[in-house]
Amino acid sequence: MIGEIAHFLSIASVMILTLVLIINIIFSFSSGHSNQLILSYKLFNQACFLIFLSFGIYIYLAITDDFSISYIANHSNSQLPIFYKITSIWSAHEGSMFLWIVFLTLWSILFVNYLSFEHPLKKGTMLMLTLIILGFLLFLLVTSNPFERILPFGVIEGADINPVLQDPALAIHPPLLYLGYVGFVISFSFITAYLFSGNLSYPWEKDIKNWSFVAWIFLTVGITLGSWWAYYELGWGGYWFWDPVENVALMPWLAATAFMHSLFASSKSNVLKAWTLFLGILIFALSLFGAFIVRSGIIDSVHSFANDPQRGLYLLGFSGFITFISLGIFAYRLPSMQSSKLIVTGSKESFLSMNNILMLTAIFSIFLGVTYPLILESLNGEKVSIGSPYYNTIFSPLILLTSIFIMISVEALWQRGMQAKTLFFAVAPTFLLAALALYLIWYFVEIFSLLAYVGIYSGLLIIISYFLKAALTIKNNSYLNKGSFVAHIGLGLLFFSVSMNSILSYQKNINLFPGDQQFINESIEEFNFLDLQNIKASNHDIVLAKILILQNGNSIYLNPEKRKYFARGQITSETAIHATPLKDTYLTIGDQLENGSWTFSLQINYFVKWIWFSSALMVLGILMTIFKKKIR
Amino acid sequence: MKASILVCCAFLIASSMVFSDVVYKFENTIQEKRFYSLISEIRCPKCTSGSIASSDVPVSRDLKRRVYEQILSGSSDQEIKDYVTERFGASSDYKPAFEGANYFLWFGPFIFLGLLMLIFLLSRRL
Amino acid sequence: MSSIYRFLIILLPLLVFIFYGKVLLTDRSDSSNYMQPKNLPQFELLDLNNQEIDIAAFDELSLLNVWASWCITCLVEHPYLTQLSEKEINLIGLNYKDSQENALKWLGKRGNPYTFSIFDPRGDLAFDLGVTGAPETFLILNQQVIGHIQGELNQEKWQSTFVPLIQAAKEASK
Repeated sequence: MIGEIAHFLSIASVMILTLVLIINIIFSFSSGHSNQLILSYKLFNQACFLIFLSFGIYIYLAITDDFSISYIANHSNSQLPIFYKITSIWSAHEGSMFLWIVFLTLWSILFVNYLSFEHPLKKGTMLMLTLIILGFLLFLLVTSNPFERILPFGVIEGADINPVLQDPALAIHPPLLYLGYVGFVISFSFITAYLFSGNLSYPWEKDIKNWSFVAWIFLTVGITLGSWWAYYELGWGGYWFWDPVENVALMPWLAATAFMHSLFASSKSNVLKAWTLFLGILIFALSLFGAFIVRSGIIDSVHSFANDPQRGLYLLGFSGFITFISLGIFAYRLPSMQSSKLIVTGSKESFLSMNNILMLTAIFSIFLGVTYPLILESLNGEKVSIGSPYYNTIFSPLILLTSIFIMISVEALWQRGMQAKTLFFAVAPTFLLAALALYLIWYFVEIFSLLAYVGIYSGLLIIISYFLKAALTIKNNSYLNKGSFVAHIGLGLLFFSVSMNSILSYQKNINLFPGDQQFINESIEEFNFLDLQNIKASNHDIVLAKILILQNGNSIYLNPEKRKYFARGQITSETAIHATPLKDTYLTIGDQLENGSWTFSLQINYFVKWIWFSSALMVLGILMTIFKKKIR
Repeated sequence: MKASILVCCAFLIASSMVFSDVVYKFENTIQEKRFYSLISEIRCPKCTSGSIASSDVPVSRDLKRRVYEQILSGSSDQEIKDYVTERFGASSDYKPAFEGANYFLWFGPFIFLGLLMLIFLLSRRL
Repeated sequence: MSSIYRFLIILLPLLVFIFYGKVLLTDRSDSSNYMQPKNLPQFELLDLNNQEIDIAAFDELSLLNVWASWCITCLVEHPYLTQLSEKEINLIGLNYKDSQENALKWLGKRGNPYTFSIFDPRGDLAFDLGVTGAPETFLILNQQVIGHIQGELNQEKWQSTFVPLIQAAKEASK
């Protein structure tokens, strides 16, 4: 009964949103109908609240174990803690699509009501958002209905969800990621409304700048959390696999980063307007593409939700429809967008322009990597796999280029070129210092890898150039954009840490009996297999190994586990990690051999904490930028 | 001890194929590094996606064992990859071959970059 | 100049959408229809009855079916295989990662459709063939592997994958 109410609320929302569209279509042929507008905005808000209410009831249904609802029965279980009953809602397609729509609605209602009543673009933005929410809500209710019942009586107990999903980080990774993904519907819709209005002199950047920054933060945190979870949970020591589903999250992130930078050129210097608008549309278009890829099953991925061509076609068609409305009006208005000012080569605008090019190239590379296997297969049936060897090779030179341009741009001025002398003195010290640092690293590390060293050098270029700039700023008492400083140091650190991690980290396969000990290498003098325990937990059996490692004189206790869950007979491995700032000692249990001994996989992963830290720095930098104006 | 062996057997049966279990003992760290690097670049033929490094299915274990044996017997990285792709297809190598149609794949991004830079420079937007 | 950009801005994404739509609509499950013939890997295995195997058995058109007593899907395809063996096809088994005792018991219980079964307890020959599990079936002619099906063999897959290859082979030999 309650499920039906929630279902009905969603349907009612569809009807109201349709009504909003109809009202505005009817009245768009005449002007000056503020009553119609007031009614539209009220209806829009109501439709949004209905969606929230519907989802709220759905959460209630999940918490109260309503197993007559097919989705809840398939993904939840009465023994789950309440937190995981809630998070099980977005563990599969229908529920996560519902969450996506809720966030879409949340961003929409906040932004539309943030715009004042007289704002020239309020109506257009609301209409675009209405259309998008409506399309997805219809998709949900028609093809992926979370309210479907198991008739006539439901089931007594739900299936247990995948134990791998019962993890706090993984539970909040989708909500944060979605908040980022769909947050860019704001820039998408607002820009579309702006383009339709025809008044191209309106300073649109101002209104969506902070909204875009916040969405970017959610996207960054969401992606980082997914990476972090993969690292400590999956047991392979990796944190990024260039899996198609990861790739389709990275592309909007790159577009969003380019967009944020381009906004500065557009609002400050009135150039790159067309580019900025295009990027604002591209971000959400890529998000839509991502949703399509993940939910249509068209590409093999361990992440992908559904395998349903019908759903895929709807998503593809609807995404195309929405994208082409925006791109269409963009293309139509393009001639009126040519700015009279040209960009001075070597100015800050010039570097922002180059940044757009590099980001777009990065996006193109990933898109190519995702699409090429499909193209090849459809041409001659050949199958090819594209993974980290490809992406590392392509991104290495791109990162170097990016770093060089960032480094030079630190000294660039608005609307003016750089003098050769300034350029030289800005750049030469950094090149040399970075080369020196690289040489020292090679001297101590004694391992060489071209791609990794390019990455290390790139990171060093950025970090050193920004620190030099900061030093000069302190000396001259001049201006330094602190948010930009922090964010870019974060980026440089990311390049540096990822590359150092790839050359320094190593892995050992160890085999011994309980009670035994082994010498591993000069830094891991002793590996002690102290004890093996068998424990029974509420829904799983545990085999726990107690290990003592003597590493560089320090005693480290690690207790990796292997778990067998009763419900589905699934076996998972719990990694034991001892983390220090420099490196992680990372241990998983392997198998027991015929002779009774056990194998272990011991990894020493370097600079891992720095990777998460660099992400945090980038977010901090953007936060500082958002709040900068407020402090003044 | 007996009880724990029983519990462990439960795991064993599920992860079966005892023949494939091998302990990787290398002659030097270079071999070891090559091993872990190679297995992260070879795709698991049975999984939806992912390398044999991150997979425990029987065929992945077999592949890892073969890679290990080949490294010990002195095969080069490329020879080992050829050995695998000969049996499981070109799609088991996460690094696409540098030949034929794949030139578009490898050079594409840089052509794209060059083109954009050219357009921008010519239209004085760079 | 800008009209070229306008055209491209619409055309390029449109091509992307159309391409993905086409991929979505094509059934890619039978994409492994054609494969380069490759030589049957060498092996030194015996059959399940410890007899030596004459490689000439693979000269004529044969099916090499990968099976095991622990393989549940093999039970599903067993009736169809029995059907096939009663026609002219030379059906040879490849007993994969199994114990000799269990394999013989299984055949005794379910019936033996195979001319003989190669005993491959370590999966060595299977590995060289590119087997990833059971059941899988290979089409062999003149000691060359010309076809490969993963998963259970049934009328549909036989018709769509192997029959065309058999026709082509017959044409070539004329």
